Amino acid sequence: MKTLLNLSVAALILAGGVYLYADDDHEEGEHHRSSVVAKPLSKQDQVSAALYKKECSSCHMAYQPSLLPKRSWDKTMNTLDNHFGTDATLDPSDHKTIQNYLASYASKNDRLVDMKGAVALRISETPYFVRKHREVTKKMVTQPQVKSFANCNACHTKAESGSYREREISIPNYGRWED
Amino acid sequence: MKYLALALLFSTSLMAASPEVVQYMKELESVAKTENRTFNGFDAVRGKEIFTSTHTGKQGKPMACTSCHSLNLANPGKNSLTGKVIDPLSPRANPQRLTSAKEVKKWLKRNFMDVYAREGTAQEKGDVLTYIMKN
Repeated sequence: MKTLLNLSVAALILAGGVYLYADDDHEEGEHHRSSVVAKPLSKQDQVSAALYKKECSSCHMAYQPSLLPKRSWDKTMNTLDNHFGTDATLDPSDHKTIQNYLASYASKNDRLVDMKGAVALRISETPYFVRKHREVTKKMVTQPQVKSFANCNACHTKAESGSYREREISIPNYGRWED
Repeated sequence: MKYLALALLFSTSLMAASPEVVQYMKELESVAKTENRTFNGFDAVRGKEIFTSTHTGKQGKPMACTSCHSLNLANPGKNSLTGKVIDPLSPRANPQRLTSAKEVKKWLKRNFMDVYAREGTAQEKGDVLTYIMKN
């Protein structure tokens, strides 16, 4: 059973999905919001996923595409010349590949409801993220080992593989998260 | 043929850049000649100055290449915005460096914009690459 579970986790991660456990969150229906894409990746998508990971993770974690809707990713990709204050431009071919990949695996849910029409660039601006982190203090986030909410993997120890389960949280200098 | 390959291997290891990066530097050189009549080859000393001096960057704040890359190119650096560790720039410390012309072009463009708020000239790019190759 455990192997089966691991296999399914691996399949989800491959698909660029985000893995959340409803029982971890003590909130019914959370897994419906995680917009997990379960279909296996085609050869082309695997190449695109690898390119996305290589290019984006040279500066920060390669956030799973399903953490934002397509319009957020499009906005990000259309403003790479000033990407949070830095030039992150790509050659035209890579740019196109990555933008298409993000569009295919973006969240199918509108993660921007209640934002009054604003299109979030930061995952941490989305209402879902804000709600999930409402009890996290400013000090926990701004400490040097974390720096900002952009560093998911500073606390979510398996974030890079797409898993954000509560039991995997370990906040530097604070330890495990007990709800 | 074997000897030619060996000689090529030896010369590229001496130059600390792959053949495609060497080719890219030749392209930069010919552009530099047309842009600057007094151009007399790339210079690591000028490259060091470009690399270590502080400028008003893209964000309107003081910025240098060394804000993220370490002063000693054999050491890892740290992205000043995200905190992510950057592998050493020195090809001796990090054999991955200066192997892909595509990577080199991408980062030179980006980082000149970040630090100088403009894309570097061919001469400036060649000077910086020459500096990195010698360290």
